[in-house]
Amino acid sequence: MKLPGFFRSCGAAAAIALSLSAITVSGCVLPPRDDPAALAAYKEANDPLEGFNRAIFGFNEGTDILLFRPAAEIYRTVLPNPVRNGIRNFLRNLRSPLDIANNLLQGDLNGAEVATKRFLINTTAGVGGVMDIAADNGLPYRSEDLGQTLAVWGVPEGPFLVLPLLGPSNFRDAAGVAGEAYGDPLNLWATNTDRDEIPLVRGIVGGIDTRAGLIEPIDDLRRNSLDYYASLRSLYRQNRISEINNGQVPAGSESYPEFPEFPEDDAAPAPAPVDNSNGTAKSSKP
Amino acid sequence: MNRRRFILACAALLAFAGSVALPSAGRADARSDAAAKFVQDLGARAIDVLVKPQLARDESMRRFRVLLNEGFDVPYISRFVLGQNWRTATPQQQQEYGALFERLIVQVYADRFAQYSGKNLDVNETLKITGSRPEGDTDSIVSSQIIRPDAPPVAVDWRIRSRDGKQKVIDVAVEGVSMSVTQRSEFSSVIQRGGGQIEALLQTLRQRVGAAG
Repeated sequence: MKLPGFFRSCGAAAAIALSLSAITVSGCVLPPRDDPAALAAYKEANDPLEGFNRAIFGFNEGTDILLFRPAAEIYRTVLPNPVRNGIRNFLRNLRSPLDIANNLLQGDLNGAEVATKRFLINTTAGVGGVMDIAADNGLPYRSEDLGQTLAVWGVPEGPFLVLPLLGPSNFRDAAGVAGEAYGDPLNLWATNTDRDEIPLVRGIVGGIDTRAGLIEPIDDLRRNSLDYYASLRSLYRQNRISEINNGQVPAGSESYPEFPEFPEDDAAPAPAPVDNSNGTAKSSKP
Repeated sequence: MNRRRFILACAALLAFAGSVALPSAGRADARSDAAAKFVQDLGARAIDVLVKPQLARDESMRRFRVLLNEGFDVPYISRFVLGQNWRTATPQQQQEYGALFERLIVQVYADRFAQYSGKNLDVNETLKITGSRPEGDTDSIVSSQIIRPDAPPVAVDWRIRSRDGKQKVIDVAVEGVSMSVTQRSEFSSVIQRGGGQIEALLQTLRQRVGAAG
């Protein structure tokens, strides 16, 4: 490993360690003791670092509105759909060693087999991964990352965390992202041969491609949320649980929300039917 | 002797449990099949009533409200979404919250449907039911895929509760993300940031549905 790359990793690690120690000292919210509703909210949010997270989130929102969203718009306007699909396929194929390794580490031999076949088929018949021939032949892509592997091993998610530029995460997934950036074979080769721009370009293009696929959903969420940060936090957590379980939620699992039957006398008052559509009429008194 | 009687009793119990369990399994299948048909019908009606015709905003909101209350258990959902905070709310607050919540849903979703207004969609090519299974004693989960042009399909799970022989949707999960849970988390955050007062949420809701209304 070349020294500059090593120092850069050290610098990043030191910066993360410093900021983490800073927030544990200053921005930590302690669980409320007396109020059950507040305690339930505290547990569900899983966000003792909320002050710090909201600050980073604000910074990310600014860079997204000024930089990433416009870049994603241009990317989507300039490049036709088949080209964008080709880029996405190519980048996914580059991730194949990580997908295979994570499947193996999770003990998912079937998943590893699918990922390996995909890599071989798409690298050859798919012209270096640009075409996803495997998906057309019953071998669909499924992302497996180190954060999911750690979860399968039973590592707890840790508090919610908003990473600068990268967005919503948690301690476990942040460790996963760092571990993958460090252990990715292509990145290792690139740093060892002084091609530091390769991981950078790969990261930027991948980020813009992902952002371009989310323009409408994120616009919608921003417009319709009462608390966009809290919505995103909940979305992130639920989505990761779904990914860890490969989309199959085992019945009766803790991660599956419960929908209790509320007692009859305690039921919500049904909003009285409103026949004028301008919505100004209040419900009638009970 | 005791031991033998015990084994006999167990066998009898098992036989009894079997005879009870089998028909109820059949009922559960019938329930989830009915739920799948319910979702398909709801999708077809939504396309016919909301998507195909070109509608003014007021009219699409009116139609959406009717469809919403036919297909969804809005009082249940609104109560679920308020979570623990329901108990601390006064009856007046619960009442106002219920009305505001319904208006919020109507406004948000009527606008979402407006994006597809005037499109001649076919329900069988837009909403594909991929499976259904019973969940607990009263619910069914209907799995479906929403097919979009030029984009990967979206997995949507509908949770249907049958109560007094009537079926209603009580939750919708998009790619494993429950809309009710997300909204509950969001409302809870608004309340916590407003000093734990329900009034903070009511105020935010009043501004939101009033401003857009």
